[in-house]
Amino acid sequence: MKRTARSAAALVGVAALTLAACGDREESSTGSSDPSPSESASSSEPAQSNPDFKACIVSDSGGFDDKSFNQTSYAGLQNAADKLGIETGEVESNAPSEFADNIDAMVQEDCNSITTVGFLLGDATLAAAKKNPKIDFSIVDFAYEKAPQNLKGLVFNTAEPSFLAGYLAAGTSESGIVGTLGGAQIPSVTAFMDGFQLGIEKYNEDEGTDVQLIGWDKETQKGTFTNDFESKTKGQSAASEMITQGADIIFPVAGPAGLGALQAVQDADVKAIWVDTDGCVSAAEYCDVLLTSVMKGMDVAVEEAITASLDGNFSSELYTGTLENGGVGLAPYNELEGEIPAELDAKVQELKQQIIDGELKVQ
Amino acid sequence: MKLEMRGLTRRFGSFTANDHIDLTIEPGEIHCLLGENGAGKSTLMNMLYGLLEPTEGEILVDGEPADFDTPGDAIAAGIGMVHQHFMLVPVFTVAENVMLGREQTRGLGILDRGKAAELVRELSTRYKLAVDPTALVENLPVGVQQRVEIIKALANEAKVLILDEPTAVLTPQEIDELMDIMRALKKQGTSIVFITHKLREVKAVGDKITVIRRGKVVGTASPDAPEAELAEMMVGRAVNLTVGKEPPKVGKPVLEVNGVTVVDDRGTTVVRDVSFDARGGEVLGIAGVQGNGQTELIKSLLGIIRPDAGKVLLEGQDISRHGPKDSLEAGIGYIPEDRAHDGYVSSFSVRENLVLDLYRRNDFSRGAALKLDAIEKNAKARIEEFDIRTENMNSSLASLSGGNQQKVVVAREFSRPLKVLIASQPTRGVDVGSIEFIHKRIIEERDRGTAVIIVSTELDEIYALSDRIAVMYDGRIVGTVTPDIPREQIGLLMAGAHDGHETQAHETQGGAA
Amino acid sequence: MSDVSVQEPAKSPPPERKGEAREEGNRWAAYLPTIKTTVAAVVLALLIGALLIIFSTPRVIESLKYFFSYPWDFFKFAGIAVWDGYTALVKGSVGSWNSIERTLERAAPLICAGLGVSLAFRSGLFNIGAQGQMLAGAIAAGYVGFHFDFPPGLHLLLAAVAAIAAGAVWGGIAGWLKAATGAHEVISTIMLNYVARFLMIYLLGKELFQRPNSNDRLSPPPAESATFPQVFGVHTGVLLAFLAALGVWWLLERSTTGFEMRAVGANPSAAATAGMHVQRTYFLAMALAGALAGLAAVMQILGQQDSLTENVAGTVGFDAITVALLGRATTLGPVLGGLLFGALSSGGLAMQAAAGVPPELAQVLQALIVLFVAAPALVRGVLRVKAEGDGGTVLAKGWGG
Repeated sequence: MKRTARSAAALVGVAALTLAACGDREESSTGSSDPSPSESASSSEPAQSNPDFKACIVSDSGGFDDKSFNQTSYAGLQNAADKLGIETGEVESNAPSEFADNIDAMVQEDCNSITTVGFLLGDATLAAAKKNPKIDFSIVDFAYEKAPQNLKGLVFNTAEPSFLAGYLAAGTSESGIVGTLGGAQIPSVTAFMDGFQLGIEKYNEDEGTDVQLIGWDKETQKGTFTNDFESKTKGQSAASEMITQGADIIFPVAGPAGLGALQAVQDADVKAIWVDTDGCVSAAEYCDVLLTSVMKGMDVAVEEAITASLDGNFSSELYTGTLENGGVGLAPYNELEGEIPAELDAKVQELKQQIIDGELKVQ
Repeated sequence: MKLEMRGLTRRFGSFTANDHIDLTIEPGEIHCLLGENGAGKSTLMNMLYGLLEPTEGEILVDGEPADFDTPGDAIAAGIGMVHQHFMLVPVFTVAENVMLGREQTRGLGILDRGKAAELVRELSTRYKLAVDPTALVENLPVGVQQRVEIIKALANEAKVLILDEPTAVLTPQEIDELMDIMRALKKQGTSIVFITHKLREVKAVGDKITVIRRGKVVGTASPDAPEAELAEMMVGRAVNLTVGKEPPKVGKPVLEVNGVTVVDDRGTTVVRDVSFDARGGEVLGIAGVQGNGQTELIKSLLGIIRPDAGKVLLEGQDISRHGPKDSLEAGIGYIPEDRAHDGYVSSFSVRENLVLDLYRRNDFSRGAALKLDAIEKNAKARIEEFDIRTENMNSSLASLSGGNQQKVVVAREFSRPLKVLIASQPTRGVDVGSIEFIHKRIIEERDRGTAVIIVSTELDEIYALSDRIAVMYDGRIVGTVTPDIPREQIGLLMAGAHDGHETQAHETQGGAA
Repeated sequence: MSDVSVQEPAKSPPPERKGEAREEGNRWAAYLPTIKTTVAAVVLALLIGALLIIFSTPRVIESLKYFFSYPWDFFKFAGIAVWDGYTALVKGSVGSWNSIERTLERAAPLICAGLGVSLAFRSGLFNIGAQGQMLAGAIAAGYVGFHFDFPPGLHLLLAAVAAIAAGAVWGGIAGWLKAATGAHEVISTIMLNYVARFLMIYLLGKELFQRPNSNDRLSPPPAESATFPQVFGVHTGVLLAFLAALGVWWLLERSTTGFEMRAVGANPSAAATAGMHVQRTYFLAMALAGALAGLAAVMQILGQQDSLTENVAGTVGFDAITVALLGRATTLGPVLGGLLFGALSSGGLAMQAAAGVPPELAQVLQALIVLFVAAPALVRGVLRVKAEGDGGTVLAKGWGG
C-alpha cells in the first residue's frame, strides 16, 4: 500500500498542475537534458556545487517511505544534496536476496559514497566495500568488529534519550502505568525499551513513586512485540490492550506499525512518545498526543558521512550517536509543552547534562 | 405465440454447429426436434434462449424480429426452457425455487412465501402438475423436480416451452406422466419444443417433427412416419433398430455375488443383501429405476466402494476387498454409468483416454516411463476399430460428441482380455448410430465367452441385450426374469409392485407431489 | 471437431490420418492465440507503464505548468523519461552480461517454486504454500550450510538435499492432511506458511541460529564449502532450475506417475475408477511441489549465499503462484514466467538506479502484465484482436480445476 502512496501523490499532483497548466516556465528547467530526474528537486540554491560527486543509498525492505529509519536516513542524503550540491542515486530493496544486486547497481552508477540502511545489509555492504575500495560505504545501525578503510558503521546509543523519555513518562503519567511495545525483538529496538525502563526506574528512585512499565522487562528480556514492522493493526491492538490495562503513556518502537499504536492512543485520549524522528513532523496528525519523541539522528549521521567522503576525510571509525554529539536526543514537547511541569523538564535537562558529562551511565 | 427462426447459423471457429436453420413453431403445437447427440439441437435452443448469440440469421416472435441477448430477454418474450440438468436450488422449497429471481415481497423486503405457494398451487391445478409447494426440492424424485422446472417456466408466463431431452432422466412411468403434462399444456395453448432422440416419444406426442443432422435441417416428418424412416433421416443411413444376436452359449459362473450390502455415507442402506451369478457367454441385464442401488452395486463390484457385507467372487477368488486397480487387472471391464464423471478425463486427449486404465500394463509403460509409441499405435488402432470420430488422436475428449466419448470408453475397456464386463448405461446420451455399434460390440464380447452385466434404466436397452434380467428395487433384486416377459410386468417390478409394503413406500414418495 | 468426411461415415477413414505434419502444425496453432495475447498483454502494460513514468517524473510535471506556452517541452521531457526508463529496463534485464546474470539469478528461485505450484495445480491442488515450503527449505539449507563443516561439494550436496527434503516434508504435510482427512490444501498451506514464518523467527531468536556475539535476527552466512561455484558470475545452481523444469516436464508428460497426477488433477473420480490411487497422488504431488520450493530456497541460500533472516524468501513463494498462473500450468510456462519476472525485477532495479524511476513503478508494471495476461478478454477487447476459438478461456477453465 505504502508503495502506491507516492505514485498516487504524483497523480494528484498532475491533476492539480494540469488545472494550472498555463503558467510560464522557469528558466532553470529549460536547456537541461540531464538524464537523472531523481536529482533533488529542491528550489533553494545549494550552498555548494559538486556535480561530480554522487552519493547513493540503498534501503532495506521497508522502503524509503517507512516513516522510520529508511526515511530518516534518506532525509540525510537529501539534506546533503541540498547543502553540497551533489548528485544522488537511490534503490529500494524488496527482499534480502536483492541487497547485493542493489548495492552493485549503485556501484555501476559510479556513486562515490554509498549508504546502506539496516543491519540486514551488513554482509552485502561489507562484501561490496571490499570489492570497491575507492567507494566510501556507510551503513546505518550496524557496527563491524573490523571494518575496511572505506566502510563506516553508524550506530546510535538510543538508550540515552530513551532514558530521558522514560523519566519524562514516569513524571507525566497519572495512572502510574506506562507501556511500550516493539516491532521485533532485535537489539536496535530493545535498546530503546531498555533505556525507557531505566528512566522510569530512575524516576521511581528519585521521587519514591511506583510507576509501572508494561510491555517490556529488561531483566528477563521479555515483552510485547508485534513481530511485524508494517502492520498498523497489530500495533493498534497491542497498544489498545495496554491502555485497557491502565497505561496512559505508550512508547511504540515499531516503525510504521507504531502508527497504529498512535491511533489507539488518540482514540483513547492518552499520550504517547514517538521514536526515530520528531513525530510532530513525520506523523503530524498525531502531534496532539505526543509528549515528545526519541530522535535517532540517522539523517545527521548520514549527512556527516557523505560530507566527510566529499571532503576527503572519511574514516572507518565507528560513529556512535549520543546525547553528547547530538546524534540522538529528545524532540521538543511541541503541542503538549504546557502539560509538562517546569520542574520535571528541568530535571530531564539536568539528567541529560549528567549523561553528557559522563556522570550518569545508561546501561 | 408464433416463433420463427430464419437462417439461424452459429459457428464456433471453423466449426458450424448450426447451418441456416429455418424452423417455425406454431401456437399450441408440440414440435419435436429430432437429432442425434451433437447434431446441433442444443446449440439451436441456446440461441433461442439467449444463451448464445447467432452468427447469422434472425428470430421472429409473432412476425417481429427479436433480439435475445440474455435468457432474461427470452423469458420476457415468453420463452421458457427446461434444461437437461435442472437449475434448481436443492435446499429450497418448490415455492422458493419458483419465485427465485422474481421474488415477491410484502414491504420491508420480507419474502411473500404465501403468495408464491399460492401461485404454484394454481399453476399445478391448471396444468395438472401435481407438486407440493412446501416440499424441499432435494427430497423430490427427479420426475417431480422436472415438474418444478416446468412450473417455474409457466410462472414466467411462458408461451413456448423448450424441453431439452426431458425424458433422459425419467422412469418409464414418469415418461408417461410427462407426456400427459405435455398434452395438457398444449390444450391450454402453450407450444412445446420437444428435443429428443427417442423415436418412440416423438411418435407418442409430436404434432410435427423436424429432423436435424450435422447442424442442418434435413427434413420434416409427421408423427405417423415409420420409426425406421425417422431413424434413417436422423442418422443419414439405414439403421438396424434391433440387435441381431444368436442364442447365448452359457458357460459357468464367472462372477458370483453373495449377499452384498452397501451403506452410504449418510448411513442409508442402499444395497441390501444382493446375490447373483454372472455367467460366461451370457448378458445379465440389471433393470430398475435410477437410484435403487444399481450405481452403488456395480461400484462395489469394481471396488470403488467397499461392500459393508457380502462377498464378490471372481472365478472363485474373493475380490470384495480389492480396489479398482486390482479388479481391473483381474479382468473386469468397466463402463461407468456417468462417463463424464467417472469414465474419461475430458481435458485429456483421445490417445491418453484410450489408456486411462491401461497405462500400467507393460504394453504401455516401461518402469516409470510411458511408451508413447505404443500408446499412439493403440490409439490409431482403436480409433479405426471403433470408428471414433475425432479430428485426430490428440483432440481432447471434450471436443468429441457424447457418442464418440462413449466409444472411447468402450474401446478402452474392450482392448484387453476380459472375464467380466460391467457396463452401466452403456448408451446413455449416445446417438442412434453409436448405440447400434456399441450394442453389437457388447454382444460380440458375450459371444467370446465373457460374462456381461448391463445396468440400464432404459427398458429398450435391457430387452435388446439381455439374456436374463434382474430387476432392482430399493437396493434389492426383486426378481430375475427372462426377456420374453411383457414390458408392463417388468415395469411393475421396477416400481416395487411385487411387495405391498414397498409399493406403498414408493407411493408416499411420489405422493408428496 | 469439423469432421469433413461425412458422406459415408461408417466407411470413412479417420481424418487423423491426413498427416502427422498437420497435426504438429495444429498443436502450434493452438498456442498461437495464447502467445499473441500474452505479447499483447505485455505491450499494453508497457504502454500504461509509460504513462505512469511520464507522470511520476518531476520534470515532466513541471513542464505541464506552462504546457500551453511551450507544449514541446512536455513531449520532449516525457519522451526522454520514457526512453530512459525503458532503455534502463532493457539494459538492466538483458543489456549486459551483468544484467543477464542478475536476471538469471532472480529467475531461478521463481522458476523452481513456480514449477512446484504448477505441478501441484496439474494434480488438482492449489498450492499456496510455496512460501512456507521455501522457508522450511531455507532453514534446513542454512543450518546445514553454516553449522557443519564438510568437504566442499559434499557439504553443498548435503545442504541442498536437506533443503529439498525439508520443503518436501512441509508440502507433504499439507498433502497428507488432504489425503488423510480431506483438509483443503489452500487453508492448510496458508496456515503452514505462518507456521514456517514464525518458526523462522523463533529460530533466529535462538543462539543456535544467530551469529556469534550478536542478538540480531540474522544467521551466519552459509559456509563457502556449501555454496554453488560461480561460472561467469552466475552461480551454477541456476542450471538446476532448468534441469528441474526438464525433470518436471518428463514427469508430467512422459511418466506413469505424471499421467496419474494429471488424471487425478483433471478428474479425480475418473482417475479412481481407472484404478489410480487418488489420495497417494495428492500426497506425492504436494511433497514434490514442496521439494521444488525447497530447491528455490537452495537457489537463494546456497546460490546467492543469503543468510537466514525472517524475510529471506522475500515474496518469491507468492510470486511463484503468479509465475505458475502466467505459465498457464504448463511446464514451459513457469520457466518463461520466471524469466519474465526475473527480467522485470532486474530491469526494475536498473530503472531505479539509472533512470530514477520510482521503484514502485517497476512493480506496478509487473502487476499490470500479470493482470492483462490473466484477463485475455480484456486485452483482446482493448486491442480489438478478434477472439479465435475459445483459446482465451483456457486459463479460467484451467484454474477453475
